[in-house]
Parts: sequence; C-alpha cells; structure tokens
Amino acid sequence: MGKAKVKLEKDFYEKIKRIAEAAGYSSAEEFIIHVLEREVAKFEGADSEEEIKKRLKGLGYIS
Amino acid sequence: MARERKDEALARREFLQLLLGTSAGLLLNPAKAFLRTKGTKETGVKIIVLGFDGMDPVITRSLLEDGRLPAFKALASSGSFLPLGSSIPPQSPVAWANFITGTNPGGHAIFDFVHRNPENYLPVFSASESIPGRHNLKLGRLVLPLSGGEVRNLRKGRAFWQILEDYDLPATIFKIPSNYPPVKTKQKTLSGMGTPDLKGYYGLFNYYTNEYKSITEEYGGGGRVHDVYVIGNRVEARIPGPNNPFRAGNPETYVDFKVFIDPVNPVAKIVYQGQELILREKEWSGWKKIKFEFIPGQSVTGTCLFYLKEVRPKFKLYLSPINIDPENPALPISTPEKYARELAEKFGPFFTKGLPADTAALENDVLDEKEFLAQDELVYQESLAMLEYELSNFRSGLLFFYFSNTDQRQHMFFRLIDRNHPAYDEKLAKEFGQVISSTYQQMDRALQLAMDKADKNTVIIVMSDHGFNPFRRGFNLNTWLLENGYHFFEPGVKPEEVSLFQGTDWSRTKAYGVGLNALYLNLKGREKHGLVRPEEKEPLLREIAHKLEQLVDPKTGQKIILKAYLSQDVFRGPYLAEAPDIILGFNRNYRISWNSPLGSFPRELLEDNNQKWSGDHMSSPEVIPGILLANRKVKLTDPKLEDVTAGILSLFGIKIPPDITGRNIF
Repeated sequence: MGKAKVKLEKDFYEKIKRIAEAAGYSSAEEFIIHVLEREVAKFEGADSEEEIKKRLKGLGYIS
Repeated sequence: MARERKDEALARREFLQLLLGTSAGLLLNPAKAFLRTKGTKETGVKIIVLGFDGMDPVITRSLLEDGRLPAFKALASSGSFLPLGSSIPPQSPVAWANFITGTNPGGHAIFDFVHRNPENYLPVFSASESIPGRHNLKLGRLVLPLSGGEVRNLRKGRAFWQILEDYDLPATIFKIPSNYPPVKTKQKTLSGMGTPDLKGYYGLFNYYTNEYKSITEEYGGGGRVHDVYVIGNRVEARIPGPNNPFRAGNPETYVDFKVFIDPVNPVAKIVYQGQELILREKEWSGWKKIKFEFIPGQSVTGTCLFYLKEVRPKFKLYLSPINIDPENPALPISTPEKYARELAEKFGPFFTKGLPADTAALENDVLDEKEFLAQDELVYQESLAMLEYELSNFRSGLLFFYFSNTDQRQHMFFRLIDRNHPAYDEKLAKEFGQVISSTYQQMDRALQLAMDKADKNTVIIVMSDHGFNPFRRGFNLNTWLLENGYHFFEPGVKPEEVSLFQGTDWSRTKAYGVGLNALYLNLKGREKHGLVRPEEKEPLLREIAHKLEQLVDPKTGQKIILKAYLSQDVFRGPYLAEAPDIILGFNRNYRISWNSPLGSFPRELLEDNNQKWSGDHMSSPEVIPGILLANRKVKLTDPKLEDVTAGILSLFGIKIPPDITGRNIF
C-alpha cells in the first residue's frame, strides 16, 4: 500500500506532537492517523457502502 | 465458590462490553434484561408452530398430490391447507416481523432488508444497529473501552411471545428471523436470521489456495480468498478474526495456522493454537473452536468448520464463517443467556450465524453444488436433532421452530428446475434437479416428528413466510428513474460508473431507489436536500407508480412490475412515516437487479440473471404466497401472516391487543 504526505505548519505539528505524547500515542503520526480515521468514519457513517455490501453479500441478495 | 462464580460472571460481562468494537462495531448491552424465569402456566391447549422459510404452496401441493409429503397430507386432511398471504414486500425480515408482531410494516418498522438515512441518502441495514461505546482509555497503542455500546434490534412492536409472557404462558422460540438481538423476555429464545458471524458480517468465509483466481482479495463480504504457497508440502496462512477493540485503529486480529500435506496420500494435517486435525481430501472437520486474543487475558472464541477441498494438483482449503461460540457467546444470541449454553452442552457447538448455508461460497465457485449441500445437510441434521430435543421438553404453551434449508436451497437451485432460466444447466439439472423436492421431503420428516409428539390438545401449525419463483431478469430501478427524468447527475458524471448515488444532483432529483423493493421521493423536510414539496407528493407518487406498472419487458412481452404499492395505501401504524414511498411488487420471474439496491445505475434497464442465486421472492405478494397448514379448520379464506398471530393468541384465550391488526384464523 502506498503512502501519501500531508504538509502541516511546523508550530501546529509540534503542538500535535506534544498532545500525542501526553495522550500516550507512540508517535504524532499514529495520533494523526487515529484522529483522521475517526473523523472519516463519522463522515462515512457506521453503515458505509462497503459495510452494507459485506453484510448483505452474506445474505446473498446483492453483488 | 459462589462468590468466585459471581465475580467470574461479572468479569465476563464487563469483558463483553469491552469487546464491542469488533469489525462491524457490534456492541453488547449489559445482560440485565434476563433475570426472570419463563412462563410457567400449564395450558390446556398446546401449540407447535413449524416455520419452513420460503416453502411454496404450488410445489408443496404438487408433491403432496404425488404422495411424497405424507405428513403434510395427513395434517392437511385433519384440518386445512391454504396459501398464506405474505407481507408487502415478501422479504423474510418483513414477513416474519408481520408474524412476530401480528401487524404490518407500519406497526413494526421493518420495510426492507435495507433502509436509507434521509440525512445522507446512504443505505443502512434495517434489522439492527450498533452503537459504539463513547469513552476509551488510551495507553500507548492500546485503547481500552471504558463504556460499552450496544447492538439494537430495530424491529418495533411487541413480539407475540412477550404477550404470552404477560399471561405467564411459556414459549420457546427457536431461530425465528427478525429477532436479533433477541428482544427482552423471560421466554426461551434463540436468535436466527440477522445474527452475524464473529466478524460482524452475515457470513465471511475464508478460502486458501494456490490456484490462480481473478479474485484474490476480499470481495463484497461473501468471502476472502488467500493466496498461499505450498513449499515443501507445507502451507502457512492466517485466519482473520474480529477487529481488536483494545488497539488503536481497531486492527484485525488473526490466528496463524500451518498445513502439513502428506507427500503421498490426499491427506493434510492442520495445526493451530496447539490443536491438530487431520483431514482427507473432501472431508469436513466438524466444529473447531478458535480463540482470538486481544490483549493478554482478553480474548474471544468462535467456532468454524474446515473443508479440505483439494490437496493436489492445487491446494484448496475452505474455512466456514467464524460463528459466535454458543457456549461462551460474545454477543447476545439467546434469552435467557444460558439457553444457548444449554443447547451447546447438549449438542456441542452449533450454527449460530443467522443463515448458515454458505450461498456466497457456492456463488463464487469456492464450494460446488455437492459441497454446498453437504454443508447445508449439517444444518438440517442439526436442526432436526434440536427439534427432537425441544419436542421432548415441550409440556405446555407454545413451541416455534424454524428451518432455513427450504429458503436457501431454493435460492440456489431454482435454475435447475426452470428450463427457461438463463443459468439453466442440463447436466447439473440431471444431478441436482431433485434438490428442492427432496428438501421439501426433509421438512415432511420434521413435521412427522412434531405430529408424533402431539396429543389431542396440541394444535400444529405449519407456515412459511413467502413462496418462491424464478429470478430470470433483473430490473435497474435507478436507471429507469434516470431515463425518465426523476434522477439527475452533476455534469460530467458517467452514470454507469456510479455507486451509492455519487455525483447525484439532489437539487434536481425527485426520486431514488434503495433496497430490494423500495423507492423514495426526495421529499422536502424529510431528505437532507429535499426537493418535492408535500403538496406535490401524492400526484408524483401516483404518476411514478402508474408508469412503473405499465412497464413491459421487450424481450418477453411480460409486465415487470405487477403493482407499485403506495405505502400510505397499504401500511398503517405508528411507523408509517418511516416507510419507503413506493414498494415495488414484481411480476413472476422478475426482481430488482443486483446493483440497483445500493444506488448504482447500470447501462441496461433490464438484465438476464446468470447467477446461481436463481430463485427469489421480491414479487407482489399475490404471486408468491406462503403456506399455512393446521390440524384445525382455518376459517379465514384469505389468511395472512399476521392473522396466524391473532389465531395463536385466540387459542390461548387472550384478547387481541389493539395494535395487532391480524384476524383470528380459527
């Protein structure tokens, strides 16, 4: 799986780094990914298309 | 000792709450509901209800007249055999919910397998929802859930066994669909259709092979294919488990396993977690337990079946979906909680996944017809043994017992009894053309068990939720809406590439289709970008319904949709406002296409169904009624599912509650 870079203001990155450390994350990167994943999941909703597909495929009614 | 056991139970409950972040976000409600005991009253009348999913009256009558269903014939002769009116639409979750609540979808709020969220137009699963826990404690890479979430049964209305409970009448309800998680009751209930596997799916198999397959990664949720290498007669692979709620990002858990292939014989040894099993080629393993560790001291167990399909020239190993372990269920599957354990103690591990037949594995050529049937035969034999057990315990009140085989096998084998089906195969028909009739005969044996148990005070009711018909052609509802000016895209969008309505211009779109029979208006005040004003609603609905009912398939000259029902005309009850606006009642041989239900717009309006999933029941209910047999005279000439509920309550002398719309059948 490829990786992409995102640019952040240095001051902001330092702030994230401090918060990540205080919250017990092993790195700022892990903290950022976790927050983004959570937000993306919120946007997509609990029943994303993929989730619905996965669930219903087991029932057999959609492909 | 007692204290120790109590602490253990408490720890278990807390743990289960913590577990709630599995892949589908399944969460467990603390099991505080199940404290009372079941109804205890001795009843003069006893009722046994056998539910054979999808059993069709035309096929049943034909076999009955041929003398191949002697128990059915005897039951019909002693009382009645009639078609049983199904729900609108005749989908199992809707139909069984009609029976459970004695009312229509307006009273129980299940309108389709799939509903939609009007806030974002996304499909949502209709039967249950998971509410994640809100508070977590992060320790490095660990995330410890501090508050449990819950999984909710979205069916509304009271179940008839809850009403029996009000009168202290005992009931055992075995695997009735539309009851996951099981509703709060003191009665004995085991959940059925709608119960997920341990990963939160409705069946995710794993398939390990070194054969080239075009599909080599997860596809659609039916299963996951793992590329493996056979090196020195040895294979190493992993079994994916539930997502880990204790680690940041909830990564998937897994268990490593090794396979040692006999260099001479078609035999292999599978080794995992200190367990060893030896399988011959074409042999099923029987139930095996598997444990997925989250963090030291916290784990969850599931149960699964291995099937060694081929050793050489290619290596092929099938692993069934990981079922929730009934001995130690990670999610709520029974009331009281100990009922699942009681069955596990008696029978060992058993199928807990809602619909156990692996139709996806057959559809994707992972299992062939014979292998699929071998697995579903395990399901049947297990059900039969459990029916015998429940019949032997049955003293008073009501026993409901469900069989899924009729539905699942008709879905997959209708192509082999329908010469006009696009997927008809003469060679396969010779070998498997009798599958459906022999399955009906198996139900006859189940009925005979119940009849042997019945005394003069026992009423036996046999019912199905709908019938069956061929699924030859699929209709792309969303494509039709687009072609007829009810749906619009932003400039530059290629409709045939769209999934989930991406690129839709909601400021111009008036209607959209989500689910297997449902059409919604983009209604102002209800949908996020609603366009249709309330005063425009009715004329627009009538216009669309009229046009849909006129559609003719140019290939066959047949009507595609017999009836486009306006929900406001056919439903009543407190949840009418949640209903789709139009329910499509398809003609015989037709169904919604494979891709339209989730907001896709294939190029063609109609397409042949070339898949093995070849029988279905999305029709107008008059096309595919279910069956009703009883050893008493049924007085209604046109009984419907909800009427059976009223009949049951009446037999026990219970006054029909006002929210039940069914009529007493007896």
